[in-house]
Amino acid sequence: MSTPGTNIGGPGKTEEQVLLAKQALHRTRPSRIIRVGAHLKREWQLYVMLIPTIVWLLLFLYKPMYGLQIAFKDYSVFRGIAASPWIGLEHFETLFNNDQFLRALRNTVVISFYSLLFGFPMPILLALMFNEILREWFKKTAQTIVYLPHFISSVIIAGIVITGFSPSAGIVNTVIEWFGGEAVYFLTRPEWFRPIFVGTTIWQEAGFQSIVYLAAIAGVSPTLYESAVVDGASRWQMMWKITIPSILPTIIIMLIIRIGNMLEVSFEMIILLYQPATYETADVVNTFIYRQGLQGGQYDLAAAAGLFNAVVAFVLVMSANAISKRYSRTSLW
Amino acid sequence: MAGVVLDNIVKAYGAVQVVHGIDLEVQEKEFVVLVGPSGCGKSTTLRMIAGLEEISDGDLTIDGRMVNRVAPKDRDVAMVFQNYALYPHLNVAENIAFGLRIRKESKQVIDESIEEVAGILGLTDYLERRPADLSGGQRQRVAMGRAIVRRPKVFLFDEPLSNLDAKLRTQMRAEIKRLHKRLGVTSIYVTHDQVEAMTLADRIVVMHDGRIEQIGTPMELFLNPANAFVAGFLGAPPMNQIKATIADGTHGPMAEFSGQKIALAPLPGLQNAVGREVIVGIRPEYSQIVTGASDGAVMGDLDLVETLGSEALLHLRVGGEPFVIRTETLGNIDKLDAVKGFTAPPELIKVFDAQTGLALSGQTRVE
Repeated sequence: MSTPGTNIGGPGKTEEQVLLAKQALHRTRPSRIIRVGAHLKREWQLYVMLIPTIVWLLLFLYKPMYGLQIAFKDYSVFRGIAASPWIGLEHFETLFNNDQFLRALRNTVVISFYSLLFGFPMPILLALMFNEILREWFKKTAQTIVYLPHFISSVIIAGIVITGFSPSAGIVNTVIEWFGGEAVYFLTRPEWFRPIFVGTTIWQEAGFQSIVYLAAIAGVSPTLYESAVVDGASRWQMMWKITIPSILPTIIIMLIIRIGNMLEVSFEMIILLYQPATYETADVVNTFIYRQGLQGGQYDLAAAAGLFNAVVAFVLVMSANAISKRYSRTSLW
Repeated sequence: MAGVVLDNIVKAYGAVQVVHGIDLEVQEKEFVVLVGPSGCGKSTTLRMIAGLEEISDGDLTIDGRMVNRVAPKDRDVAMVFQNYALYPHLNVAENIAFGLRIRKESKQVIDESIEEVAGILGLTDYLERRPADLSGGQRQRVAMGRAIVRRPKVFLFDEPLSNLDAKLRTQMRAEIKRLHKRLGVTSIYVTHDQVEAMTLADRIVVMHDGRIEQIGTPMELFLNPANAFVAGFLGAPPMNQIKATIADGTHGPMAEFSGQKIALAPLPGLQNAVGREVIVGIRPEYSQIVTGASDGAVMGDLDLVETLGSEALLHLRVGGEPFVIRTETLGNIDKLDAVKGFTAPPELIKVFDAQTGLALSGQTRVE
């Protein structure tokens, strides 16, 4: 009589046969090298397509790591990296005794915090708003207008901002003067730099970043909404109870990435918008590195500042990922 | 009375009409199944009843109230979807309570309702689990729980078992039937599976190309299909249909095809019909096998034998056309290789007009 899990050959017969077949397979299985070789031969086109990315990674991300050691050396351009003497953590001590670096560090943290606070939710809000627009032509027009600044060079964006806030011909001051106010030279005032910078980066990037969330929203099953409609949910309730929770994993992933890049504030835009009068609130670690390294020729000190930036970013992204994994079941890896 | 009345309901997308004015009365506590092939308009009709699709023309009445312009939430209906439509971020209890929370019911009412529904559906041990951690059958139960918990006047089911495997489908079918008996709520159920329709329905509505072909109890439709489409749709395997011509026989009308004849019942629809082109419909289970030349038998060539255990399906070619016979094996399948043809009781043979497809023969008594 047969029992579940066995064939009519008798109890245990199937298991025995499977075991024998596995052993036979193991005996006849080619070595790993031969299997990898066969795989490469079969899928070589895919690996050829991968080559440019690998070359780019090696050239621009891994090779420069060799130069990181100058953060711990008294680097001289004439002696070269290898021949420059080791000096331990001296550059880091110099940095942390340097008021300009500490100011840049503080500014980086503050600007990053404002960018995260105001800049991170903006693409989500835009995506949610686009999702609620019913008229297709209006939706497409609004999306095009909001995406457009991303495709304009930062130099032009900065030019528009500088002109817009100009004390003589800028539209902002013109409006202030219409209402009887006095023109303000915003870009020379330290207290105005951060709002202008954060606002500019939001204007430039929020629309384009909203595409990720729109794609996530498009992936939400329409029957969830239909079911909610039958249950009596309003559009507002559907947004809060279905759309946002459904795209929450995407929001968390984007937040982890954003936290990892927190210290990488839009350095080109700062270079384009700041001036010595606003260094007090505008100078960040990256602009400090730029001035010290490229303009001041202190490559070793700049490398130390850059390395510090990278280590902090690494710690931040690891922590954010671990926290997210623990509390929301969502993580980058 | 929580009945549903569809009066000349039309659905059109621009100039394209997909539901062409259907009339249907679903009685209170009745279980009605809309069945038909893909694209016949059955799901669209259900969605119009739910309020998810606008009604282009006609009147829809639920519980005596015209609801054409009433929002879905105010129709007091609950719907179970094919893909369950469970919220992945909510656990079973939260999914079941979703509709109640939206309606701002008190915590006590919500908790009691969850407990009661979970008890009915056997979900008590899974209340903290999320949908991703449930099996297909459990998910389907949660979807039904979400519908039940609101105590609606009408349940709408849109192919709720299509995503389940055959075994689970049979099990869940029985559970739905039991649930309907227990709750006694008016239910409208859409499926393309005629077995589900036959087993679940108090009445079946067969739809085709946006029109209702026939409405009746499962046995009425099985025994007395109104036309060739219904005959071919209900029954597994479906009714055999052979093109034939009415001929005059010694004892009454006969159907003649490919040089063979089969006796028909002397029914009113067949009077003065000699020479008329018809379709003869014979159910596989009403055909009796013959192994040699026999009086009144139709001969054919045995093509294939499919053994189902206690039964077998014999695939014959009769005059070049396929013909299936369902017969009992009685433990001996070797004898089936000798089958040469079949006979069928004249009173169980259906005859349809070849042009219109409408039934010509009279009614078979429903026991």
